[in-house]
Amino acid sequence: MSTIKPPGLHRRRLIGVGAAAAITGFPNIGFTQARQPIKIGVPTILSGRVAQLGISSRNAMQIEVDAFNASGGLDGRPIELIVRDSRGVPAEAARIAREMISSDAVEFLFDAEPSSGGFAIHEVVRETGTVTLHINSETSSLTADPRQRFWNAFRVARQGIHDSIAGGYYAASVARSRNLRRWMTISPDYAYGRDTTAEFVEFARSFNADIQITGETWPRLFQADYTENITRLNQGRPQAVYSCLWAGDLVTFVEQASIFGLFAQSQLFAVNMADYTTLQQVRNLPRGVHSGNRYLRNFPTVPENLAFATEYNRRFNTFPTNWSWQSATAVRLLTTALRQVGGTNPREVAAKLKGMTIESPFGAEGTVTMRAEDQTLVDYAIGWGTTISADPFVENMQKADWATIRRLEAEWKRGKGWG
Amino acid sequence: MGFGRDSAIALAVLLVFILLEFTGLRSAGLVDFAIRFATFGLLALSLNLLIGSAGLVSFGHAAYFGMGAYSFGLLMQTGAWSVPAAILAAVAMTALLALVIGALCVRLSEIYFAFLTLAFQMLLHSLILSWIGLTGGDQGLMGGIPKPPFLGVDLARQDHLAAFSLFCLVASAVALRQILRSPFGAALRMLRDNPDRAAFLGLSVFRYRLAAFVIAGSFAGLAGVLMSLYVSGAFPSFAFWTTSGEAIFMIMLGGVSVFLGPLVGTAIFLMLNDWITAVTEHHGLFLGIILLIIVLGLRKGLLDFAVEHWRARRGNQP
Amino acid sequence: MELTELGECVSSLSCVVTQLAAGLTIGMLLFLVASGLTLIFGVLGLVNFAHGSLYMMGAYFALAAYGPTGSFALAVLAGTLGAALLGLFFERFLLSRIYGQDVLMQLLVCYAIILILDDVVKIIWGADFRNMGVPPAFLHPPFIIGGGVVPYFYAILFGITALIAVALSYGMSRTRFGRIVRAAAVNPGMVGALGINTTVVYAAVFAIGAGLAGAAGALSAPIRSVVPGAGVSILIESFIVTVIGGMGSIGGALAASLILGLTRSFGSIGFPLFVEGAMFVIMALVLILRPSGLGGRRG
Repeated sequence: MSTIKPPGLHRRRLIGVGAAAAITGFPNIGFTQARQPIKIGVPTILSGRVAQLGISSRNAMQIEVDAFNASGGLDGRPIELIVRDSRGVPAEAARIAREMISSDAVEFLFDAEPSSGGFAIHEVVRETGTVTLHINSETSSLTADPRQRFWNAFRVARQGIHDSIAGGYYAASVARSRNLRRWMTISPDYAYGRDTTAEFVEFARSFNADIQITGETWPRLFQADYTENITRLNQGRPQAVYSCLWAGDLVTFVEQASIFGLFAQSQLFAVNMADYTTLQQVRNLPRGVHSGNRYLRNFPTVPENLAFATEYNRRFNTFPTNWSWQSATAVRLLTTALRQVGGTNPREVAAKLKGMTIESPFGAEGTVTMRAEDQTLVDYAIGWGTTISADPFVENMQKADWATIRRLEAEWKRGKGWG
Repeated sequence: MGFGRDSAIALAVLLVFILLEFTGLRSAGLVDFAIRFATFGLLALSLNLLIGSAGLVSFGHAAYFGMGAYSFGLLMQTGAWSVPAAILAAVAMTALLALVIGALCVRLSEIYFAFLTLAFQMLLHSLILSWIGLTGGDQGLMGGIPKPPFLGVDLARQDHLAAFSLFCLVASAVALRQILRSPFGAALRMLRDNPDRAAFLGLSVFRYRLAAFVIAGSFAGLAGVLMSLYVSGAFPSFAFWTTSGEAIFMIMLGGVSVFLGPLVGTAIFLMLNDWITAVTEHHGLFLGIILLIIVLGLRKGLLDFAVEHWRARRGNQP
Repeated sequence: MELTELGECVSSLSCVVTQLAAGLTIGMLLFLVASGLTLIFGVLGLVNFAHGSLYMMGAYFALAAYGPTGSFALAVLAGTLGAALLGLFFERFLLSRIYGQDVLMQLLVCYAIILILDDVVKIIWGADFRNMGVPPAFLHPPFIIGGGVVPYFYAILFGITALIAVALSYGMSRTRFGRIVRAAAVNPGMVGALGINTTVVYAAVFAIGAGLAGAAGALSAPIRSVVPGAGVSILIESFIVTVIGGMGSIGGALAASLILGLTRSFGSIGFPLFVEGAMFVIMALVLILRPSGLGGRRG
């Protein structure tokens, strides 16, 4: 008999407090045939302000891994996840990744770090040649820049440029119909915030040349208070405001901006609004905020997606995040490749992953593909809609068209010299 | 005499490690640990020159760690530098930074010195974050750091890097110990314990403290170089206050009054950190409680405690 | 730098009103935290690095009280008293053991408290950020004064914080307790010789300082996310305030808090990318030119 448990689980029980939802979520699965497990290392963040990133990633992986193990694993070999907390320090993420590879002998990595830690791990596995799936890093350059590309690293996450094309297209059409010309932006001052905003502006303007950016304000990442940024927006009297703030920072901004009466005069386009953890925390959600989908159980409207959310909710008493669907997709991609290869040889698994298409409840048309040319996920569902104050929180979802995204992405890459 | 003995011990330590590493006994875990131990040990050792010997509590030591890492990484990415030349240049640049900041800081006493060093460190940190064109901002230096082999040493290999890092640590430790044994070191201790007497003897408080500040900063810069070699990059968190905090933590764990105290503290800290990360996600809770037990229980570093205990026992003997 | 925009702002009434009101409100919230920090340093000689965590705990206590009762007044009360009691506990059982030891010991004990509290709130309230939301009673359209926008809730916050500041200043200058505290700051031995129990004075001062931080956390809970680790940024700003104002000086802390608040609000228009840096530059300049700070007693 071998039992599958995430490391430290029983020790957490010893501490004896809290996190009950997380603990009860992991059943122990017995195997009649004791085989060497396939170890997968998961460096992520489990503490501090973005602990939800790691927790909701791990939850979703565990659902999928349990399903894989219950169905016999890889010829009886189950997957064992080794999840460790880098506390958001990139050097620590690199250290943990290295240690997982050398001391724990993991065969694959699911890098569930955000961009900063993701790039650190990227450098580690460039040297070690470990097959790695980046799960939460949305910064476009990670896969779009050919200098960053090597055979064993893949991205299973939405990508800034895809969101920006979809968002720019949507914003341009709304702007045309409502005659919104004066725009301002408020985004967090770090790589993801700056790149995503610049790309959004570029595409919105390419679809609708009347859009003018009259001002921008850049709060720090995790800034506690947005008063100064909101008064700056108020001075500019924009007709529309774009933001790629996320999670708690977005909630704080929306609450504060509401009491300044900002949304009485300006339309808000917040790409990261439609995530349950965010939507459920905003107490005074203004009606009609334009948002991209992060994760919504009713978009795409397919039974498997609803079932995923229901199962997640049953086990963890909360709803999946954007990070959850990405994590689930990573497990499905890797396990499919493992079974097709019939082993864990890194070169063979990587070759199989390249260009692989699988059925997915999160796909725009029922499938997602690991695009061969740049080893990044495409064809996942992207859409924009407007918020309402109660469940299902978002209405009028408009699905983005992947043919347009691919075409403009290719142009954008050529413009960067990455084509 | 002291120098010869130190060098012999240092050489022996290095040989033992190399034997371990390049014979059957090596393990990947040992190699990784050696690199990190050398890196943080050097950082802690250099900080203890200020805290332990000069009595200057700096909260901003990570500034030089970060400076060393970024200077080295940027020089290597130009492709025009060899590793030893870039290391020398990075350490020189760090020394220059320490000279400028030190000249402004060392005039202040105690808590004001601590806060001003902290302020400069945060200033450097926000500079790294905002100068995206040069530093890559919050993503750090990307694209890897090339490590062309020199003199048969290939730092792209982890075992070579481990041996090289330990060599740097051991050589620096011998050098630092020589500095402390010299009249300069004696003067520093006098300035710490009895500044009035030192001033009476005509010692320039400013010059001695500034020199100590620059020396400590330079060795921290070398530690930063090792760190950037290890992770093949440089990140803003290198120059963040948490890095300074950890270095202080290591020193306090091991003890400030014994020369090797910071190294013992580093080893304990790293093992503690790795063990806690491996067994729990409540890292803070565990570390915090252990910290409280050590600080409130022993009230000093482990080696300080051991040495005092030993002396007390010896003193009691008839 | 967008100094022309700053010039335009300063010459327009609406902009000045908006920025002034915002800057003063942020400044006053900061003052509550920083005054506690500076008070504790002045009397106990202790640099309370865990002060930001008490602010965070105040916010969590407020959230816990607000959930079932829906009363903002009770929430603020719970935040203040909860943080004060927690502070008292730390002072009695942990910090009092290291009085008179060097700043490194204080740093480490406080560091341990920060680490533990961040994990404890995660265990009790979950890792996710939480949001109280502005209580419905305060959901009114903003005041428009001279074309400038002043949110209703900000006006309330400013009123409450100003009242607390006045009460603090009255308590320190006019009451017997205040005189004892000020005497203890200058010469604790003398206060002890007069038959006053300095242990009680120290504990009370620490509880008051912690309560002030808790009050700030509770008051800002409706407009700021409540999240593990929320205390770090406010801690750093409070230190900047304490250093600029002079360590131990409450009047200096008030001036410095308002300076920082206004630097933030006007800086976001004039030098938006250097607001953070500007605060460190001000701090460094004060330390170099006048280490005792604006209101410091030492020359």
